Amino acid sequence: MGTGNPRRRLALAACALSGSLVVGATAFGAASAESATSAASVSAAQETTLRVRMAGSGVDTLNPFLAFFNGAYDIFGSIYPTLNSLDENGKPGPYLAESWTPSEDKLTWTFKLREGLKWSDGKPITAEDAAWTLNLIMTDTVAGTANSSLVANFESVTAPDPATLVIKTKAPQANVVYMSIPISGIPIVPKHVWEPRAKNLKDAKNDTFPVVGYGPWTLTEYKPEQYAKFDANKDFILGRPGFDHMIQQSFKSTDAAVAALRSGQLDYINGVNPTQFKALQTDKSLLTAQEVGNGWTGVEVNHNARTRSGKKIGTGHPALGDPVLRRAISLATDKKTLVTKVLDGMGVVGSGYLPPAWPQWSWKPAAGQETPFDLAQAGKILDDAGYTKGADGVRVDPKSDRPLELRLGIHSDDTADAGISTYLKGWLETIGIKLKIQTLSMSALNSDLAKGDWDLLMDGWTTGPDPTYLLGLQTCATLPKDDGTGGNTDAFFCDEAYDELFKKQLTTFDQDERAKVVAEMQDILYKADVDQIHFYANTLDVARTDTVTGLITGQPDAQGMYPAQTAFWSYLKAAPPAAKPAAASAEEEGGGGRLWVGAGVLLVALVGGGIVLRRRSGAGDRE
Amino acid sequence: MSSLTAAGPAKVRGQGVKRSGFLPYLGSKLVAALVSFFVTLVIGFVIFSLMPADPVRTLTRGRPTSEAQLAQIRIQLGLDDPIWERFLTFVGNTLKGELGYSWQFQQSVSSLVADRLGPTLLLMGTAAVLSIALGLWLGIRSGWRHGSLFDRIASSASLTLWSVPTFWLGMILLVTFSVGVGPIPSLLPAGGMSDPSLPQEGWTHVVDVARHLVLPCLTMVLVVFAQYVTVMRTSIIDEMGSPYLLTARAKGLTDDAVRRRHAVPNALLPSVTMIFMHLGVLVSGAITVEAVYSWPGLGYLTYEALKIPDLPLLQGTFIVFSASVIIMNLLADVVYRFLDPRVRAQ
Repeated sequence: MGTGNPRRRLALAACALSGSLVVGATAFGAASAESATSAASVSAAQETTLRVRMAGSGVDTLNPFLAFFNGAYDIFGSIYPTLNSLDENGKPGPYLAESWTPSEDKLTWTFKLREGLKWSDGKPITAEDAAWTLNLIMTDTVAGTANSSLVANFESVTAPDPATLVIKTKAPQANVVYMSIPISGIPIVPKHVWEPRAKNLKDAKNDTFPVVGYGPWTLTEYKPEQYAKFDANKDFILGRPGFDHMIQQSFKSTDAAVAALRSGQLDYINGVNPTQFKALQTDKSLLTAQEVGNGWTGVEVNHNARTRSGKKIGTGHPALGDPVLRRAISLATDKKTLVTKVLDGMGVVGSGYLPPAWPQWSWKPAAGQETPFDLAQAGKILDDAGYTKGADGVRVDPKSDRPLELRLGIHSDDTADAGISTYLKGWLETIGIKLKIQTLSMSALNSDLAKGDWDLLMDGWTTGPDPTYLLGLQTCATLPKDDGTGGNTDAFFCDEAYDELFKKQLTTFDQDERAKVVAEMQDILYKADVDQIHFYANTLDVARTDTVTGLITGQPDAQGMYPAQTAFWSYLKAAPPAAKPAAASAEEEGGGGRLWVGAGVLLVALVGGGIVLRRRSGAGDRE
Repeated sequence: MSSLTAAGPAKVRGQGVKRSGFLPYLGSKLVAALVSFFVTLVIGFVIFSLMPADPVRTLTRGRPTSEAQLAQIRIQLGLDDPIWERFLTFVGNTLKGELGYSWQFQQSVSSLVADRLGPTLLLMGTAAVLSIALGLWLGIRSGWRHGSLFDRIASSASLTLWSVPTFWLGMILLVTFSVGVGPIPSLLPAGGMSDPSLPQEGWTHVVDVARHLVLPCLTMVLVVFAQYVTVMRTSIIDEMGSPYLLTARAKGLTDDAVRRRHAVPNALLPSVTMIFMHLGVLVSGAITVEAVYSWPGLGYLTYEALKIPDLPLLQGTFIVFSASVIIMNLLADVVYRFLDPRVRAQ
């Protein structure tokens, strides 16, 4: 009876359909997976492709005047040139510009550009392209959306001849050579392509492929939220890319990206988490490398939020204005434990405001000047300052009579914040400070931050090789106006000596001298205990050794940490392994065999399951 | 069970129940839908606009931005305009069919939604069809023979899967079938909608997309089908003691025919409601599945909008989602009128 029943057939067909999806996929999956596994590298025409994970932020727009996200700048770094490159020590080097010299009065920079370079459409690259790009950003509000701060001090930019670019600044500016570098600087675009778009720049999606540009790669295809495909520029002036093509594929979760790497869908991931890194270290087919971090994680202290005119704002605890309390919080923070427990040891204990990725600016307190982890000392200085404990063990501020109950804002999507806050809560309670942890979105935290409605806040910043912007966040100029607008501060820090040094570093053209000024600034910040830097998390990289080599440049230090890498050089220097190891080939072949075995097992299971079900249903009908 | 239900649809049709006019019925439902839509519009605007957030700082976090630049961006985005002015612009744009301009992606919201609608419907639609078919089939079989081994296995398996967190199940399937565990080799891709190294058109592309669809679709089906099993099973059990089934059996119909022709049509009504509700939320995608499998859908787009928050994009997707639910509810009302004579009799 059951066999002739059209409805049952329909039901079984539905069931079978779901199964067949798996089985079908298994069958053709096997064939495709085999090709994909080796695609890393070799396609039918023996052309090689490097497959990397797109930056986690994704791409907001391909319009280089409007984009803010790192994923977009990774692409711009690959397809548009800049005046300078960044050498492996993080210092400005040649790119479009062969040489650059400041004038005696430090107000004019003359860049000599290489001759004979051509855009991907064959038109020559001249100084006029650079002058036009920079002028547009300086004069057009829309064009200045993303990068106008980098040219804010420029008086004029001219191209007296095709190989000379002259930048005049309003005041001396030491970091002009960092203004146009790959990824973190301003990309130079071809004038002949962008001039017609300039009138309606807001709507220029820049999605005509291949995108006309110049760089190690040419963008040939882009699907939002999916992937970007590139062809290598074999005549690239700084070296020929080791692969013929590159694919940057978007993976919204790092776990999925790791799965893709392990299954041969990707060759390289920049930025896995410590747990994933440790798990992958045991896989001998993978290269795992730690690079020193380019950012810090720490806690901001709201010490008397106020406007530029000194008007108090917000609801911060008044006792945080007392350096003794801030010092006690710092003494009660065991940064080594945070690195060990929160980062699994994959980071550097924090001290200076600038991260170790840029060693020329990195600073540490002199021996004996470091703030130790000392709960007893923290308690003692609070006792001495009159913060007596109440019946509930919580100290009371002698000036305001308010108990030391502080809010700690943490990011809802950051597991490190959650880990740190748990430890901080315990340590601070030991010394009589109660913490109330508030988990908020980044945007809500930012909103509270600007209004001063917080006590302590977990924060983190990364920086490119020029520290000016990050240092600038601590100047008095970033405090909000009286009407609450205009603020760009993070801890309401304002110190005259610091501000003076900030101006000085901007006008100190000798980079070694500049580093000394920057060190003094970090010393001031360290002693103020306003931005308490917990650690610099290492950037953790993983690459397949059977498909790619050369991604990581430089030598590891004694702790095994490599210098900071940039996508620009990593992708350029990456190359297929010289010869595929015999073992790897055998494994691949074996893998193909296993695929078919797996497919067979699954097929048998599904068919068997179907038969059992049919028998049962038939039996039911007969009952 | 009421006598109306017990009568069964086929019999009621023959009794000539007095019907209210279809057009007035449809008109009243349309007006109600429009009112719902407008109210949703207002609520959506108010909630998103009142969210404590600083979109400009969050948006520009990745680049060095000066105070003047931030102020300029605030002006460009219209954040300095009074809220009533922003509301009027929002309503005006919506009435003109424009969904605004995304702050983070710097393009029209409608183009962003259109880009992601296809992948969303492909994933959610396939998953819906499979889970409805599987859920109803299992529900009918389980309910008809409740207490049997089949029922116990189907019910407990579906309830267990329903209780499993979607992202967790997604990760387990991802690791099992993409990376491979033990004897199971790597069978399917770890994420995305297609393999960029293959041609993006033709039969190869279709097969490639199907391969990428398997795991996210399977995850959705395994989590969703249980609700159909539960509802359908309960409905069937409710119907089982009904006198009309006794009558049908007395006529000499086989057990299978009684179930198929009499019990199932009556028991389907609650599931129809659920199906339309399910169809209504199809376009909103599934954030967790899209995130785990990097599927370029509307759910993840909404999440990205929320992070900034990108108000035009958030409001735009909210309008699309609300409209979809309201339209599907309207359709359910209309279909119900044809399926259920009691509605016609009202």
